[in-house]
Amino acid sequence: MKKIIELKNISKAFDGEQVLTNISLDIHDNEFITLLGPSGCGKTTLLRMIGGFENPDEGDILFLGERLNDTPPHKRNINTVFQKYALFPHLNVFENVAFALRERKVPKDEIKEKVTEMLNLVMLGSFANRSVTSLSGGQQQRVAIARALISHPKVLLLDEPLGALDLKLRKDMQQELKKIQQSTGITFVFVTHDQEEALSMSDTIVVLNEGRIQQIGTPADIYNEPQNAFVADFIGESNIIDGIMLENYKVKFSGHTFDCLDKGFAHGEPVDVVVRPEDVDIVPVEKGEIKGTVTQVTFMGVHNEIIVDIGGFKWMIQTTDSVNVGENIGITLEPDAIHIMKKSEYSGMYGDYSSYSNELDELSDPGGDE
Amino acid sequence: MKMSSKIYTGLIMAFLFAPIAILLLFSFNDAKSLSVFSSFSLKWYKELLNDRNTLEAVKNTLILALSATAVSTVMGTAAAFGIHKIRKRWYRTVLNSVTNIPMINPDIITGISMMLVFVFVGRLFGAATSLNFWTLLIAHVTFCLPYVIFQVLPKLAQMDSSLTEAAQDLGCTPLRAFFKVTLPEIMPGIITGAIMAFTLSLDDFVISYFTSGNDFQTLPIRIYGMTKKTVTPKMYALATIIFFVTLTLLLVNNFVDNDDNRKLRNKNKNTNRKPAGAIMAGALAVVVIVAGVVIGFNKQKPLVLNVYNWGEYISDGSEDTFDTVREFEKWYEKEYGRKVTVNYTTFASNEDMYSKISSGAVSYDVIIPSDYMIARMKNENLLLPLDFKNIPNYKYIDNEFRGLYYDPENQYTVPYAYGIIGVIYNANEVDKADAGDWDLLWNEKYKNKILQFNNSRDAFGMAMYKLGLDVNSEDKKVWDKAHKELMKQRPLVYSLVMDEIYNMMESGEAAIGAYYAGDYFTMVDAQAEDVDLEFYYPERTNYYIDAMCVPTCCENKELAEIFINYMLSEEPAIANAEYTYYASPNKLVYENEGYIEEMGEKAMNILYGKSGGFAENYNKNAYHNLKPETLDYINTLWETFKIN
Amino acid sequence: MRKTLQKQHSRTAGLALAPYSVWSLLFILVPLVFVAYYAFTDENFRFTTENITRFFTATSDLKGDDGTVREVHTYIVIFMRSLKLAAISTVICLLLGYPMAYIIARAKARTQKTLVTLIMIPMWMNFLIRTYAWMTILQDTGILNSITGVFGIKPLHIIGTETAVIIGMVYDYFPYMILPIYSIMAKMDLKLLEAARDLGCNGFGVLRRVIFPLSLPGVISGITMVLIPSISTFYISQKLGNGKFFLIGDAIEGQYIANNLHFAAAIAFILMVILLVAMGLVKYITAKLVYGGE
Repeated sequence: MKKIIELKNISKAFDGEQVLTNISLDIHDNEFITLLGPSGCGKTTLLRMIGGFENPDEGDILFLGERLNDTPPHKRNINTVFQKYALFPHLNVFENVAFALRERKVPKDEIKEKVTEMLNLVMLGSFANRSVTSLSGGQQQRVAIARALISHPKVLLLDEPLGALDLKLRKDMQQELKKIQQSTGITFVFVTHDQEEALSMSDTIVVLNEGRIQQIGTPADIYNEPQNAFVADFIGESNIIDGIMLENYKVKFSGHTFDCLDKGFAHGEPVDVVVRPEDVDIVPVEKGEIKGTVTQVTFMGVHNEIIVDIGGFKWMIQTTDSVNVGENIGITLEPDAIHIMKKSEYSGMYGDYSSYSNELDELSDPGGDE
Repeated sequence: MKMSSKIYTGLIMAFLFAPIAILLLFSFNDAKSLSVFSSFSLKWYKELLNDRNTLEAVKNTLILALSATAVSTVMGTAAAFGIHKIRKRWYRTVLNSVTNIPMINPDIITGISMMLVFVFVGRLFGAATSLNFWTLLIAHVTFCLPYVIFQVLPKLAQMDSSLTEAAQDLGCTPLRAFFKVTLPEIMPGIITGAIMAFTLSLDDFVISYFTSGNDFQTLPIRIYGMTKKTVTPKMYALATIIFFVTLTLLLVNNFVDNDDNRKLRNKNKNTNRKPAGAIMAGALAVVVIVAGVVIGFNKQKPLVLNVYNWGEYISDGSEDTFDTVREFEKWYEKEYGRKVTVNYTTFASNEDMYSKISSGAVSYDVIIPSDYMIARMKNENLLLPLDFKNIPNYKYIDNEFRGLYYDPENQYTVPYAYGIIGVIYNANEVDKADAGDWDLLWNEKYKNKILQFNNSRDAFGMAMYKLGLDVNSEDKKVWDKAHKELMKQRPLVYSLVMDEIYNMMESGEAAIGAYYAGDYFTMVDAQAEDVDLEFYYPERTNYYIDAMCVPTCCENKELAEIFINYMLSEEPAIANAEYTYYASPNKLVYENEGYIEEMGEKAMNILYGKSGGFAENYNKNAYHNLKPETLDYINTLWETFKIN
Repeated sequence: MRKTLQKQHSRTAGLALAPYSVWSLLFILVPLVFVAYYAFTDENFRFTTENITRFFTATSDLKGDDGTVREVHTYIVIFMRSLKLAAISTVICLLLGYPMAYIIARAKARTQKTLVTLIMIPMWMNFLIRTYAWMTILQDTGILNSITGVFGIKPLHIIGTETAVIIGMVYDYFPYMILPIYSIMAKMDLKLLEAARDLGCNGFGVLRRVIFPLSLPGVISGITMVLIPSISTFYISQKLGNGKFFLIGDAIEGQYIANNLHFAAAIAFILMVILLVAMGLVKYITAKLVYGGE
């Protein structure tokens, strides 16, 4: 695939505070790429650099091989869907969408034709003359997308575009966005802090934290083969346990030696072991490779989410079995349920559910980048 | 709205509109009074439409307000944008504080401080006139700016900053993004700011008073200048017209606006062009106004005569009288084949005029001050000797009026009018036996019915004539005595007045007051039914002469002399004497049979009939110029008198 | 070529600000320097503090109502008198204007616009003429007494009293109190009032604990816009006070007319310093009150 945008060793600081450090990234033609990370990780800043609203302190941005750093936003063949849509309140739906065309002095008939076509694409054909402030969130969202797509940019930047929508609408829009991306063949650079959204929509995910790229890969790669504790924790739920690599395909943790599929570590190297909650099998206590006590059970609909104390370390396990608080259970793990990561600066910071609570997690769900 | 709210709103509106209702009512009054309604008449509207100077002042006021609004709105919006963008906190704080200053500073300080600067700069460049339209405009823009800025800033802060980014993203340069997106967003703030600026500029008197020059008189300054005579009901007619015009404009605006909103809501019309159109129209208006002003002034350049006179002190074409200024312009063009424009501006007192001229702020070609001020200006070399070859009509000035103390060699002045201060009283309230001398103004029987001058020289003068003191004494003790006498009178005095005397005497509000002889007749014409005004001269009283002079700042002396000569010719001289109701020193006037008949026997007797020769009485009783120390001392005494 | 964007940003800001910066330097700051310069020099422009001392030391005999005479500091008395009249006028404006602003802000959008327009209209009529019209209303034989006379009320003597001057000040500057308060109130979120109700405030409680604190910035600018012009007016006191109320504005104008420019500047300078300091303090205190300090 053709490289459309290349970021080379980009760094940026605001008022002495480092926001981005040494970012390098290739974005390919016709790709749906997602910048994923928690609030303040620098993903929006990175997006704004591509859009032309910020300049890197160091490093270069190339567009089709040409340096783009000093090109102002209006001369970039790149358009943006803004976080809160930034629709022009003094213009109606039609004029919002037609904005870029009027700017290029496109003939009136052509504008009418193109805008109508675009509004139909986003299923707002009958809303052309409505004031944008009278639209619902989802409709505003579509206007913003139509407005950005009207001049057929090479790249569309989307800054948390679904953040303000409710869950049901968000799911629908995810699908729709993906469809639009596929039908137009435009490269989408999508910024979100929602890992599910990233996993379900993207061709490529770039995980960012504290201004650094943690991992680049397909959704499956990222989920199954996280490179460090941060990625493992941020993408889905993970139990991250200290372990020791005894030899290739043998790892020891929680007082038991497991078979695994990983190799290439030094003998006796301390590692982080990732076990996804859904990959754990619960067995009667006497059959368990390791044993623990259930401290909390939450009914989640399709499964139960239980917290198990195993030698002082709290595991999260998703299971369809019914267990009770206080019950002693056993656990077995298949080799493909275990993923081994090298120790990193994030080791020990994530993957322990000792202070876990469903409600708190909901409340502290970061709402945006700002 | 709740009933109580409605009632409250009604009461407030009644309060706000009560004076306007009064103006409306009295604009239809046949008599020249703001307190006694005689009969319905439209004459003041007719007068107003024929009053070139007032219409000019209205035009000037509008030009100034529109220009000041345009400049301050554009500059203020840009400034607000800049302040909004600034990232340095201290810089923003400094700018905010500085912007606050014109709002926190009283008008009078802003006015004086700017005048000081303009005069300083004018002197630096050796300009004859440092105050003109441009200084006035600068002053107005300066006090309008904060209102624009503080209206626009919050709108900018409220605006989603990604809107401009979105516009740039969609192909706008930053500048275009500002015009296409930012401007429409902050438009309500800009419009409110512009309206406030316009309103403030329209209504400003104080700052204009200090910063205006000879070329451009606004309505408020013109009205203030009418304080020697009275504010004519033309002004009420004008206020009434302004009221209805603004009311219509605003109602139409409200109506159209609501219509638009409805369209937007129901029919969902394309609204793209509107803000851009409005901006274009606004910008165009700015260009047209500025260009108009510039062209307007260039056109006037060729030959200009600046005349500075008392308010209401020249026949100006109102009530079908002779329009002296316009007739002079016509006459001059016919005689000399060249166009001349007369800038005719007015002052409220000798001191007012003196301050303007001595500060070097403004240049005038002809001024008409009173005798004692002439003496002072001559001493300070502020007057030019006249070339009487250009003033052959001087021969009509009687010998009685030549060689008087302020100009013993007849070099500097040509008398314009003279007068005597007399006592006016309401015979229905005052016992005739008490009348006859100054004692009437100190008579306890008429407590709270007595008026006294609201200027130091005349007020002290009355006391001094009463006590038989020398009104030109340089001895502080003499002035102390007069001050004491005034303090004695103080509890009896209803009001200190200048032009307010007209309304108070006409309506019977007050019963006794001293004023200039001719003005008595103006009051009689408008007196209420139950008022019967009478007049007498006390034994000793003030005689004064107002004379035409040419100040040293004059830029066209010959033209000034031609004007003075013209003023002495028959038609203008008679017209002015009839208009001002003051006595004329010009034989062509007081020997003219038509004039004598027009004035009537009583008026002729009062104006001209006082026994004894004029010169003899004048030499005994006129005010002379006093030493600065004495003047300063009088001023201090006056302040002491006033704070009591 | 680094940081060009930021540079461009500050350049646009600088460019937009440049005319105003120059303007405010030349026509706001320099004139203030001139006032100070004149205040501290004599007519030959030699340094002197005499003008300033004169303001604080000049004395006059003041006759009390009971006929006793005492010596007072002329300009201090004048200043205090101006301050008193201006303060009373401001308080009345606030008491009358605040409910009005509230009523307007709570009216329908269209009514709001009409009411604001109506309040602005009198300002388009010349203030000298408006003041003149008040003379007709207030004088002893004036309209007011004719009306009250119909109802058998004894004629009121208003013209020439403090009341008349205060009425004139209140009338002339009333819109300046309403408009800023209104514009703050119009922006107020109705939900806040509902929230306050929800949390147990009664009507007065909502006013005292939510509406008033939120409208404070408007109140402050209203107070400023009424107090400042009424403290320095010289026309209203001349016309409605029957020339008997000599205020600080009259003093400045009087000295200007008497050609004592330097002393006029000194009075202006002292007045300016007092007002700037007072307003600065007010701003500071309200900032603390409204935002709980920084």
